[in-house]
Amino acid sequence: MVNRRGFIKVSCTGVAGLVVARHGMHSVAAQSPQTSVYPIVDIAPLSSIARGAAIPFSYPDERSPALLLRVNEPAAAGVGPNNEIVAYSTLCTHKGCPVSYKPERKLFICPCHWSTFDPVKSGTLVIGQASEALPQINLRVLAGMVQAQGVSGLIYGRYTNIV
Amino acid sequence: MATVPLPPPDAQRFNTVCQFCIVGCGYQVYKWPLGRDGGPAPADNALGVDYRQPLPALSDWISPLMHSQITGRDGRRYNVVIVPDHTCAVNEGLASVRGGGLAQTLYSPERPTKARLSEPLIAVGDTHTPLGWDQATDLGARVIKAVVDRWGADAVGMKFYDHGGGGGGFENNWAIGRFFFSGLGTRTASIHNRPAYNSEIHAAGDAGLAALTNAYLDAQLADTIVIVGANPYETQSNYYLTHMIPNLNGATLKRKRAMFGAEAVERARMIIIDPRRTMTVATAEAAGGKDRVLHLQIEPGADIALLNAIARVVLERRWHDVAFIRERTEWQTFESYQRSTLAVDRPLQEVVNEAARVAGVPASQIRQAAQWIAAPKRDGARRRTLLHYEKGLIWGLKNYENIAALVDLGLLSGNVGKPGTGVSRLGGHQEAYVRPPYPGGRPALNVDEAVRRGEVKCYWIGGCNPVLTTLRAEAMEAALRERGAVVREVLLQTQGKPVGERVTRIVEALKAGGMFILTQDIYMTASARYAHLVLPAAQWGEMNLTSINGERRLRLYQRFMDPPGAAIPDWMIMARFARRLRALYLQDRNPLKANRFLDFDWKGDEDVFIHARYQFKGDGSDAMEGYAGVTYDLLRRLGNNGIQTPTQIVNGVPVGSVRLHEDGRFFTASGRARFIPAPQPWPGYAAQVTRQRARYPFWVNNGRSNHIWQTLYHHQLIPFYSEHNPMPFLEIHAQDAKRLGVASGDLVELSNDVGKVRALAYLSDAVKPGHTFMIFGQPRGAVGDLVSDHVDPTTTIPYYKGAWAAIRRISGAPEIAKTVSFLPQNVAQ
Repeated sequence: MVNRRGFIKVSCTGVAGLVVARHGMHSVAAQSPQTSVYPIVDIAPLSSIARGAAIPFSYPDERSPALLLRVNEPAAAGVGPNNEIVAYSTLCTHKGCPVSYKPERKLFICPCHWSTFDPVKSGTLVIGQASEALPQINLRVLAGMVQAQGVSGLIYGRYTNIV
Repeated sequence: MATVPLPPPDAQRFNTVCQFCIVGCGYQVYKWPLGRDGGPAPADNALGVDYRQPLPALSDWISPLMHSQITGRDGRRYNVVIVPDHTCAVNEGLASVRGGGLAQTLYSPERPTKARLSEPLIAVGDTHTPLGWDQATDLGARVIKAVVDRWGADAVGMKFYDHGGGGGGFENNWAIGRFFFSGLGTRTASIHNRPAYNSEIHAAGDAGLAALTNAYLDAQLADTIVIVGANPYETQSNYYLTHMIPNLNGATLKRKRAMFGAEAVERARMIIIDPRRTMTVATAEAAGGKDRVLHLQIEPGADIALLNAIARVVLERRWHDVAFIRERTEWQTFESYQRSTLAVDRPLQEVVNEAARVAGVPASQIRQAAQWIAAPKRDGARRRTLLHYEKGLIWGLKNYENIAALVDLGLLSGNVGKPGTGVSRLGGHQEAYVRPPYPGGRPALNVDEAVRRGEVKCYWIGGCNPVLTTLRAEAMEAALRERGAVVREVLLQTQGKPVGERVTRIVEALKAGGMFILTQDIYMTASARYAHLVLPAAQWGEMNLTSINGERRLRLYQRFMDPPGAAIPDWMIMARFARRLRALYLQDRNPLKANRFLDFDWKGDEDVFIHARYQFKGDGSDAMEGYAGVTYDLLRRLGNNGIQTPTQIVNGVPVGSVRLHEDGRFFTASGRARFIPAPQPWPGYAAQVTRQRARYPFWVNNGRSNHIWQTLYHHQLIPFYSEHNPMPFLEIHAQDAKRLGVASGDLVELSNDVGKVRALAYLSDAVKPGHTFMIFGQPRGAVGDLVSDHVDPTTTIPYYKGAWAAIRRISGAPEIAKTVSFLPQNVAQ
């Protein structure tokens, strides 16, 4: 298990924000070890992201729904003004139901079994039956564009994030 | 990048059941050597799941916490994946937050679980040093024998678990019971969570009811589910999510129609009696709608008044089950119950208003609850109500009458022994009780007091941790420390001396007020640190064990890995000591004593299971645990659905029991249930508690929470859990917090006349002003340090829920606040 904070620390030191991951390390003989690289994906121009914004996107591929949020306080691994911009996979890490963000509650809630997650604290489980935090999409700002560049944690339904 | 390895098609596969809560969810264990992982195509992994595409919702996904690596005794390394079993009727493929991390609890020299005890240890000065099993057993057995011979068997005290699940099981319980009861014959016994050897629910037993009467299926079938003093979303999670929620949201209507034919059915209603607005209340409302959930936010100590007032309304409205009472209960107990408990000599209005005032709930809610519990359905059919209770009642003001009042309400409304009904504990841990009879009486001896008074010369603590969990915990710790120090000194002085000389000197120390302490456990707990002999036990997964869950579902939890080092199952530890004691008594030419330790020659886990089985007849008279006719082989074939106890032998084959009392028979001499008087609407507080309440403003309610199990013995070693619970949390209402200058994340101190403890403040609307709630048994702060030594004189059950304290802010805790979320834990929509 990767210690979440440790992983974030490591990923922040990655060269040019590229997180190189090996997911072939567990593969059987038929599959040769391979190296996958997270894509860099534009999400929205920084200037367009107002406080309270909630912008759906997908990452690292189109089958992985995610949500970019600008919260009203500094957030762990946040980017932009006051580090208020964060993004998460919106598949609950319990059984994969789509979580929704409740701005008045400041948390993500899963409609299936009510796991809740805190977007300001790296998607940590507030309460519920999930056994992982909500995977956080690693962001960066380049030339005024907020970009996704990696994921901390395993996205529901996958054995590795790049499939 | 976070990844999980996939089990290859030829991975070893084992059935197991979660080691944690009473619900006992089924899990599958996959184990395979490192470097031989499976692939994403369905044919290339043991799950048969197509991982080439992201799995859809509700699939068998392996979260990273469900995987870990272990090392066998042979030095070979393995991947282990432990995933919820979708074929298990209990959890239908759901993991709880606790079960999702089972793989992290396994021993590994590479992870924090390397802290496991792996060899017997003896105290040397302030620390411990290894010694072999033979030496440890010899010294321990000689000290025990010397104590018994000089002071009698009651001078040997024991505090052991009596449960199922992790660390428990029928196998271990039988061996422990045989050693202490039919072997030593001590009455100075106490159970893991309380200071005596007693039932937590004597009143239910006296009424003739089993602790666990219903099947989980009944929660899908009930018209109304009543939850008293429990929080099942957090602490019986998959019973609640898999069986209760689908009834609240209507998903079981089809099943109800199929079961009940023309009888009127609708979505269930839920009544929750709890001082807190918990996540259970929030999720029940989200699933069923606010109009079908009634939360009675009760004041402490008011259970009897409230439950009796509800029952009185039921009687007054003629909603009671006349036929059930006539045919299934002792009529004269019903007669006296009406006068003693329902106060039929007083006007209804007066009784209800008094209860409303004492309980701090509107009288209208009392009437509403009575209606939901017992009013006939729209077609005139009897309402099917499932009544569940747990520690809010058990650890409440008057243990005996609290339980009696609820059981009586169940009998009055005829809600036991029929589909969709029941009067049952929700339960904490799993169960697996099978022991020879406890030689003591009732009310049972208070062992904590016997320890403090110096009557216990040798104290053996097994699989529990009283320093964190007992009442007046600081005083218990002081007794272990101070009385233990007298023996420690002697152990230091006699190092290297012959064992006979050491024992002589130890006995001298015991005469001088010392106490010899043995602990057997899987970790060096706060209590084990004071032990003179520390004995390393095997845990869940390292032995075959059997247990029942909250609907008495008996399963085999298969062994899938080695224990660390020289650790062995608890039954084997007891057998070692028993055989040694037998040999010592034979040397003494005392065959009578020696023969008390006969038949400890089991060769394996199943030998013990089968040995214990002779307690059960299989003729319908067995207690709820009865497993007559059951073998490991049968359980292997039945997998994670197992068989529901008690079994009856029909045509030579064991047949399970879906629910108890279905035949109308109860565990009384007459076979009829008895109403138990619970007469006082407001019994008042004991003197110790009255003093506390007068001096200290805050009620410190306490209990479990969702993420962590018991004293966190595993969870403090697993970052996912320990980062969530670095300190005991204290829920406090915003009004009170403001007055104290306390913010969420602040470190606060709670103090009263018993002791003091620190906690992390957590502003919450779950508690009323003046109420707080603290997690119990946290290694960095035990609420027991605030709990008075008052016990219910009828049952020797403590009033753990009854502490009052002052609270002051100490400081902020900025490091903790970085990772711990302080968002509300009772929000579901």
